[in-house]
Amino acid sequence: MPPLDEGTPLFVQIAEQLADDIVDGVLAEGARAPSTNELAAFYRINPATAAKGINLLVDEAVLEKRRGIGMFVASGAREQLRAGRRKRFAEQYLEPMLAEAKRLGIDTDTLVSLIQGSGWHNGGDRP
Amino acid sequence: MTPTISTTALGRRYRGQAALEDVSLEVEPDTVTGLLGRNGAGKTTLMRIVTGLEFPTSGSIAVFGETPAENESVLRRMVFVREDQAYPDLRVSHVIRVASWFYPNWSEELARQLLTDFDLPLQRRIRKLSRGMRSAVGIVIGLAARAELTLFDEPYAGLDAVARQLFYDRLLADFAEHPRTVVLSTHLIDEVADLLEHVVVLDRGRVVLDAPADDVRGTAMTVSGPVTAVEEFVAGRAVWHRQRLGARAAVTVAGPLGAAAQARARALHLSLEPLTLQQLLVHAASSPADEKVSA
Amino acid sequence: MKTLVNVARYHLVDRLTYVALPWGIMAFSFLVNLVIATVLPSPQGDYTGGLVTIYIFLLICGAISMTRALPFGLMLGISRRTYYLGTALLIAALGVVYGLGLTLLQAVERATGGWGTGLHFFRVPWIMDGPWYQTWLTSFVLLVLFFLYGMWYGLVYRRWNLVGLVTFVAAQVLAGLVVVVAASITHNWAAVGHFFTTLTAPALTGVLAAVAAALGLGGLTTIRRVTI
Repeated sequence: MPPLDEGTPLFVQIAEQLADDIVDGVLAEGARAPSTNELAAFYRINPATAAKGINLLVDEAVLEKRRGIGMFVASGAREQLRAGRRKRFAEQYLEPMLAEAKRLGIDTDTLVSLIQGSGWHNGGDRP
Repeated sequence: MTPTISTTALGRRYRGQAALEDVSLEVEPDTVTGLLGRNGAGKTTLMRIVTGLEFPTSGSIAVFGETPAENESVLRRMVFVREDQAYPDLRVSHVIRVASWFYPNWSEELARQLLTDFDLPLQRRIRKLSRGMRSAVGIVIGLAARAELTLFDEPYAGLDAVARQLFYDRLLADFAEHPRTVVLSTHLIDEVADLLEHVVVLDRGRVVLDAPADDVRGTAMTVSGPVTAVEEFVAGRAVWHRQRLGARAAVTVAGPLGAAAQARARALHLSLEPLTLQQLLVHAASSPADEKVSA
Repeated sequence: MKTLVNVARYHLVDRLTYVALPWGIMAFSFLVNLVIATVLPSPQGDYTGGLVTIYIFLLICGAISMTRALPFGLMLGISRRTYYLGTALLIAALGVVYGLGLTLLQAVERATGGWGTGLHFFRVPWIMDGPWYQTWLTSFVLLVLFFLYGMWYGLVYRRWNLVGLVTFVAAQVLAGLVVVVAASITHNWAAVGHFFTTLTAPALTGVLAAVAAALGLGGLTTIRRVTI
């Protein structure tokens, strides 16, 4: 069970974890998302909090509600989420990395060779 | 929707001492509310008044829209699991059976499941049980009753951590399947923090905090790192607590901190850690009157 | 009504206290008296007050109903009033059934000439030696009265604690003392004696029933502010 940290509000964390699953392809488009009660039991949180998290994703059109059946991953959700995260990538990951590199005195060339030497495949979709 | 519980300037005095004073709050239906506070803060007194076991000396209270004291139509819809419940000299199975006669929503299936889960000896006299097992009996009754208003007052005296987690899990599961209004008073705040939708904190008989749990989380952060950087970051913010060790400092400030502030903290190589609900309440309870936590 | 019956059922789950012990203790007292009557018979028949054991035990049951059984009773989502009335329903039912039992035993005693030994255990002179319906009624009233009296002890203890309990007993002693002093001072002993000798058994039963009713109603008012 992934631990929930105290920083961001719980329901936001729930939404992010679901979004992670969608981005990773673990939760496929058109598949049924976990119900409020299932999420509540899994994370050991109040169902209302779980519902709030789901509603966040519904508001972003990542999840859609099919009346009487449940919540399903909307088609195109994966790409939508990835696009959104690409936008935040620079701020969330790139800038801290560059700041740390600067702090440690790693220059651009060293940085580039570090990246190439790590086995990084030039972007591209994962299967 | 009418609140399940609604109090207006509720007060209870014993021999000149105020156990409760000017308590005005509302508990919405089908929510889990944590009733928190130090020993003697008035949590038990409040719950006793809600369940008609005690009578207020001032103010008023309405449960399901009516005064609870001696009111059958209200009392029937409640169950109160107390820390110090006294039982007659009967076997566990008898006590459970008697309880099943009185609660309209009683679930025999759930009761049996819980009796097994808590490993309770049905044929033993309840007075011969350990404190933890007696608490478990109370929990079985409280959950199986499926009462519209379920109150737990520190119901886990003597229960070990495993049994407590079992209680939280069963409570959550049954609450999800059969929603009801739950009020849970506890010292073990961090154990139940994620279960709570709403938080009410009492201190010396007064309400010092009454807010949705989501609003309370992230109300304060501890910023730690090199002293100068920390002081630069917290300048102009309300400081709750300062701590220094050599060239490092940890300062607790009132939050929440927006994305910009968080980015700035990262840039300054400061680490940010939000206060847990328990830490927040320790602070709220021990701070002087004019420094209340606001949410 | 169903709730009142459930309260009565709740008390009766403790069959040891409410059924086995009262009858068991009385049976024990009966056997002891029977043995004595057999071994040491007296010409006019053996008269014993052993029957009082069942009444004393019902008094204890009454006290228990308002002390040991009360906290859990109130946990069951009922008002104090319902708890009290349900308990009263119980004793009314027990009074009828137990009274009938005592009446039957009295009939058997009469038919067997005192169990063959001239023992007067179930036949108490003057108050319970008459027709079966009178015995039944008097037994009923006495059983209920003793239970209610016991309930009062329980209630007083719950509401006013040990100090209250002691005061309660002292007040009764004091009341008795006042009556005695008043009778002596006004030289009214003759009147008192006259009152008692002209009192018939049914009339006494009526008086006791009135006392029981007063205790019952008083108890209902007292329990309203009991906290547990």
